[in-house]
Amino acid sequence: MDGAQRGEPIVVIDDDYAMRLACEQALAKVGYTVSTFADGAHGLEAVGTCKPGLVVVDLKMPGLSGLDVITRLHAIDPTITIIVITGYATISTAVDAMKAGAYDFLPKPFSPDELRLIVRRGFERRQLQLTSQQCEVERELQRRRFVTFVSHQLKTPLVAVHQYLDVLRQLGEAPEAAEKRQAWLSRCLVRTDELRRLIDDWLTLAQLEGGLLGRQRTRVDVDETITSVLRTYEGLGARDGITLTADVPEHCPVHGDPTCVGVLIDNLVANAVKYNRPGGTVTVRVQRAAGEVIIEVADTGIGVPADALPRLFDEFFRVRQPGVPKVEGTGLGLPICRRIAAEMGGVIEVESTEGAGSTFRVRLPDPEASPALATGRSA
Amino acid sequence: MPATDTRPGTKTILVIDDDADFTATVRAVLEREGYTVVEAESGAEGLRQFRARHPDLVILDVMMESPTEGYGVNEAIKYSGDFDAFQQTPVIMVSSIQESPDDRYPRAPEVDMIRPDRYLTKPLDIPTFLEIVRKAVRH
Repeated sequence: MDGAQRGEPIVVIDDDYAMRLACEQALAKVGYTVSTFADGAHGLEAVGTCKPGLVVVDLKMPGLSGLDVITRLHAIDPTITIIVITGYATISTAVDAMKAGAYDFLPKPFSPDELRLIVRRGFERRQLQLTSQQCEVERELQRRRFVTFVSHQLKTPLVAVHQYLDVLRQLGEAPEAAEKRQAWLSRCLVRTDELRRLIDDWLTLAQLEGGLLGRQRTRVDVDETITSVLRTYEGLGARDGITLTADVPEHCPVHGDPTCVGVLIDNLVANAVKYNRPGGTVTVRVQRAAGEVIIEVADTGIGVPADALPRLFDEFFRVRQPGVPKVEGTGLGLPICRRIAAEMGGVIEVESTEGAGSTFRVRLPDPEASPALATGRSA
Repeated sequence: MPATDTRPGTKTILVIDDDADFTATVRAVLEREGYTVVEAESGAEGLRQFRARHPDLVILDVMMESPTEGYGVNEAIKYSGDFDAFQQTPVIMVSSIQESPDDRYPRAPEVDMIRPDRYLTKPLDIPTFLEIVRKAVRH
């Protein structure tokens, strides 16, 4: 893909008016957006605002020289591709320019075709560079996340189970074994279930991020999803004296993957019940406003301390409050919600008051507000 | 759950770890050997218990409230000056990560301060662990 298709502008810096005009015409002809400047100072000033992908600069100019421009351009943005225009007797200067960071040079006189060719190659190289840099950074982040995940999150329940089984085995038929066996075997089951859920959630997140999940675009009736989820948690809520209510209009479609919408609402309601207090309430409300479908899940639970709010959607982040017992969970529920919302073109927000409760709000595009979405065109 | 009062003549071991299951097994094997066990679920709680109970040995997890919480607790016990005579209390750090503090902080001048007396990986090899504990509390 080259600059013309990506819409990245080109900046041309040359003190010669005829040259500026010729370059602009040659490049605009094939669809590039071109801005021209008569001197380095003005050209550099404009780089910040018009954010070019490529700059064509004459080496020999009064005032700020081409070499100076290249050096400063590099300082502003080392990824900008630079092409220098050189006079017929200045090959050594051209070499200096390359050393300073120019991608290629074009000796005068040159034809419009020659200019277009070198610009196109310049953009292609830029694309490759950007892609590989991005990949590298992403790869490193992925690797580190995976290492942390494997090292700690997966090993912790396994360590617990191993030690329970190891000690039980060593105790053999000793009296201590009899009194501990039932409790410890139950704990082993709890921890292995935890491990399994962790792996499931991690896979869900990986599939969402890899585009294997969440890309489907069908009509999902949110009101039906909410009814179904609330029914699932009625029993759990009743056990702890928590009331679940829905304030949802009958007709509430969104466009997305039905399974993912289910997971999103299930995770939020599960949290609202888990972090609640006996006698508390969970309210799920849906509104349509300003082109959005807004789903709110509000609870009257323990809330989130203000300093923890920015990190709430981080993987494995758990709020630790002294005196509050650790709540069971994989630590991936909210990152999954965030990802699902993003896949649907929406966002998720949270408001919370410690000790009073939290409200999670998902804003999704309203398919009935925008005709383009309603045609079911896949993203 | 914190233990009952120290039985006279027994050694007290403080176990600081946020995984209650890990602590349950460590408690079981240590109590079987006749030690009194005190538990703490966080670094902060651990330091409180350290101050209150003056244990003969501390078993300390690395990752709790933060990924390097244990190192902070170790440093507090040995170097913060808050604990006077009890700075010499041996500290055994445990973690499921196969990494010693020297590997984690190779260039930190303070690595001496955060180096525990022993570093063991989880899951513990129980016989080896008990032997290390025996030697550590003897001093």
